[in-house]
Amino acid sequence: DENVTLSPGCHLHPFNVSIRSDQRGTCRGTHLAHACVGYCESSAFPSRYSVLVASNFTHNITSASRCCTIAKEAKVKVRLECPGGRHHDELEILTAKACRCDMCRTSRY
Amino acid sequence: TALHSFRGCAVREFTFVAQKPGCKGLRVTTEACWGRCHTWERPVLDPPYIHRHHRVCTYAVTRYASARLPGCQPGISPLYHYPVAVQCHCAVCTTLDSEC
Repeated sequence: DENVTLSPGCHLHPFNVSIRSDQRGTCRGTHLAHACVGYCESSAFPSRYSVLVASNFTHNITSASRCCTIAKEAKVKVRLECPGGRHHDELEILTAKACRCDMCRTSRY
Repeated sequence: TALHSFRGCAVREFTFVAQKPGCKGLRVTTEACWGRCHTWERPVLDPPYIHRHHRVCTYAVTRYASARLPGCQPGISPLYHYPVAVQCHCAVCTTLDSEC
């Protein structure tokens, strides 16, 4: 509900996954999966002297941060409908089951 | 807005003890960054299977200030330089200038 999405913290957020499969992309399926979306606390402040020394005086700022992460995930099977209804494919996708404000990762993915 | 429900990233007062070997410590009050940034993780079909958007509240515009530490031994500079946040924003933590 809206109050949960607007309040700080890291929450399950439903979204539709659309899949087109087989080599020619002719089988299709959609499924409701969950992402984790939210607002976690973070701060940045002057680094301690030991951090300055260890980084050769480059890391002047220390970041203490939490980001919204998937704490628990599950696989769900999505049934793909193929043209003519002659056969069906099944595909596994991931969905979030629990969310948590946890360590931030700097990678793009 | 109450702090417990604040979303976004703002300049906030911050007090720390400036300390280095050969001098006594000094309490310094400065401006730093604090807040809650919009972050998410979403499963995707292809490797690495999780698409991530992680941003942290950090310095956007920085100026530097110096404190004069007390009780320094001879030959030790009493100056202690530290960053002051002029503006903060939600951004990727960069190891160029930050301990992430």
